[in-house]
Amino acid sequence: MIRICSRQITRSKWFLPGFFLFGGLVVFGALWIGGHPGTGAVSLALMAGSGLLILLAGRSETIRGLRGDGRDERFAQIDLRATAAAGSVLILALIAAWLTQIASGHTGRPYDWLLAVAGVAYILAVTFFRWRG
Amino acid sequence: MKNKVRVLRMERNLAQGQLADAMGVSRQTINSIENDRYTPSLPLAIALARYFGVAVEEMFDDQDL
Repeated sequence: MIRICSRQITRSKWFLPGFFLFGGLVVFGALWIGGHPGTGAVSLALMAGSGLLILLAGRSETIRGLRGDGRDERFAQIDLRATAAAGSVLILALIAAWLTQIASGHTGRPYDWLLAVAGVAYILAVTFFRWRG
Repeated sequence: MKNKVRVLRMERNLAQGQLADAMGVSRQTINSIENDRYTPSLPLAIALARYFGVAVEEMFDDQDL
């Protein structure tokens, strides 16, 4: 039941625009607390505008897939591969940044612990999915 | 994986969009299956086979596995 409900939510065309608006509100709140409400308002406007753009964008498969209303099992597989690719690129960028930092005599912070988080998260995910699968 | 989805669909004069609607997937997914670019999940393969009234192994050829 929970899985069906969550699938219905992620397949709604309101999913990604809503996510953008929610993210904008969170950033706005964080910047407000940090004493920069003006920057927060700009961030909120940018994210809400991006969400609106996605909501009103055309009917291409990519847009509908990203938005949520064009999602099916094939797009879920595409999404999984894209997420893995983005994660790999991010880890490679972190390794490059970490190596650059330590080669120039710095401690490597914060890239060292970010890489550690990535490694631990990967091992935990493998363990979890092996147990579930 | 080779399959007979296009042949069976054409026999019934169905458009890709009509089959996609019946299966609850996008037209592009049906197109990808027909062009052997995407192997459907087991539930979708069974749904397709039931829809066309054939066995799954009649519809999908596993010789290239």
